[in-house]
Amino acid sequence: MARVYNWQLGRQMSYWYPESRPQRQFAAVFDTNKCIACQTCTLACKTTWTSGVGQEYMLWNNVETKPYGFYPLGWDLKLLDMLEGQKWSEREYEGQKINHYDGSTIFESAPAGERVLGWRPEDQDYSYPNVGEDDCAGQVDGGASFSMEHMAWFFYLARICNHCTYPACLSSCPRGSIYKRPEDGIVLVDQGRCRGYQECVKACPYKKVFFNPMTGTSEKCIACFPKIESGLQPQCFVNCIGKIRLAGWISTPDKARPDNPIDYLVHIRKIALPLFPQFGLEPNVYYIPPVHVPQSFTRQMFGPGVAEAVSAYRNAANDPDLAGLLSLFGSTEMMVPRWKRQGEQVVGMNEGGEILRVPLTEPVHIRPAYDRLYQISRTNCP
Amino acid sequence: MRIRYLLPWLLLLFVAGLAGCRSAVQITAEVVAVPAAGIPERPDDSAWNSAPEHAAKLLLQDLVEPRLMQASTAEVRVRAITSGQEIAFRLEWMDATKNDLPGPAHFMDACAVQIPVVIDANAPDPQMGQQGKPVEIAFWRADWQASVDGRPDSIKEIYPNASIDHYPFEARSLEKGSVEQREMAARYAPARALGNRRAGPREAPVEDMVAEGPGTLAPAASATSKGRGVKTANGWSVVIVRRLPAGFSPGVRTQTAFAVWEGSHNEVGARKMRTGWIPLLMRGQE
Repeated sequence: MARVYNWQLGRQMSYWYPESRPQRQFAAVFDTNKCIACQTCTLACKTTWTSGVGQEYMLWNNVETKPYGFYPLGWDLKLLDMLEGQKWSEREYEGQKINHYDGSTIFESAPAGERVLGWRPEDQDYSYPNVGEDDCAGQVDGGASFSMEHMAWFFYLARICNHCTYPACLSSCPRGSIYKRPEDGIVLVDQGRCRGYQECVKACPYKKVFFNPMTGTSEKCIACFPKIESGLQPQCFVNCIGKIRLAGWISTPDKARPDNPIDYLVHIRKIALPLFPQFGLEPNVYYIPPVHVPQSFTRQMFGPGVAEAVSAYRNAANDPDLAGLLSLFGSTEMMVPRWKRQGEQVVGMNEGGEILRVPLTEPVHIRPAYDRLYQISRTNCP
Repeated sequence: MRIRYLLPWLLLLFVAGLAGCRSAVQITAEVVAVPAAGIPERPDDSAWNSAPEHAAKLLLQDLVEPRLMQASTAEVRVRAITSGQEIAFRLEWMDATKNDLPGPAHFMDACAVQIPVVIDANAPDPQMGQQGKPVEIAFWRADWQASVDGRPDSIKEIYPNASIDHYPFEARSLEKGSVEQREMAARYAPARALGNRRAGPREAPVEDMVAEGPGTLAPAASATSKGRGVKTANGWSVVIVRRLPAGFSPGVRTQTAFAVWEGSHNEVGARKMRTGWIPLLMRGQE
């Protein structure tokens, strides 16, 4: 095991291979508050990549309802049960306060004979995606009605491969059949070399590697790399109805740039957080946590930065930079590596210059209920 | 009353008979390949009775991660016959379960024969060879055997109740069996499109590979080995036929090693029961 630095944990940790960061790292921000679980992302991925024989059950992208939804069944709970002592503390590092993970990662907790602490789903665990999971946490008593405060809660969690900086799938493969591309950090299974041992399926804590029983190899999300190579965002991003997603490139915290959309949201404003950072993989899909969910839950899921993130997000209406950048989500198929706000407009740019301009506030037209010209009342009825 | 006196004698005769049967199987401390005019490709061919048997104790693969931490199959019984061009091994081991249906968290019964590429008194490391000292491995797997025996290449063979709306390569615009249709199907089976020999459907249940240490297993330049495995009442009986190792002739000794994977015990890849090197001798023409 080598010693590597995981900035999400605020410390060094053990990993099977030495630290080797790509030239640039593919990353994404998902706004959970905007997801409506319409599954358009799931279908966009499914029809693009996994319509073959043996791929029927594969959902490289899925959306599940938390707290009771999983794909595969119990993917997070099982590992959380196995991983002991997930404590965080606040420490000082070079004059700044950082969150330090005091617990053990899945690499550091690997049992004898294993490279990673993991578990392997059975085929039944993949059998019922989204069935019976749209129930809210807590009892709703008879006579209750909706009010502004949520009496009970649930939220939608859209998931793809996290293209981790320290992938557990990659470290677990005894054949080195999984690799992380140096040019963009995308993690791929070499389909010519894989022999289907399913070690990666067991090791990935997010369960985003799937075994194909017909080809005998394991397959996973490829971040639509042919699109990325053409400067475009992946299918699940551009087909998102709720415009919850933005793809881009993330820097390490010490090299964070305010004009990089992902850096701004993750490192500078800290409103987008990794999924289960305590597992130790430095995952690269970042989530704006749901604002209405008890933070005792979201803190376990997204780490100790949840309170700060929710507070900043709630204030976005008074924060033109943040509100402006959030309005770039889902506004173009192109990757947006740079951005700036110019007054009431937000500008997205790439190496070639400006690629789009979005108003901070959409123009609002109010049509009065009574039409004075025609002297008639309008109604919503057809 | 008379039968009561006869019983001890009958029992003695029965035990003596059993011992006689057992003594018909010649047990050897090494694997001895017996010359024959032809190679018996079926595990139940009577020609196997002419070959002595070596009972190889199986050890845990517990040297490299991922390791097998709990022992399963205790021993593999091996016989060998050679035609002068090919050598056939018959491997038999106890296994109560038949594991030949692939799927998530499903693992296959399998076995393998390993031989150094070069006959040398200083043999390579027994665990998959070592750099500069490659080994050849012939690997048999139960699901490939089922496929060769006629199981269709369809998801319904694994999940009989599977319901599939549509595969893109079954679009009406594509003529069934046409080049266009096969190309479309390959697009959704990347391992097959890349020519990964493991990705099936297979024409032989045995795969030829070379290795120079753990994690280096690669397909051999040519795939010539064949074989046949049969599930018996209490285990597997598998014949693996490969070309004769270079330089292997009567009186010459090389090394061989065996591995067995018990699918119901989640054994796959490095998680296996294996032997160390065992001397392999070709008996002279009798």
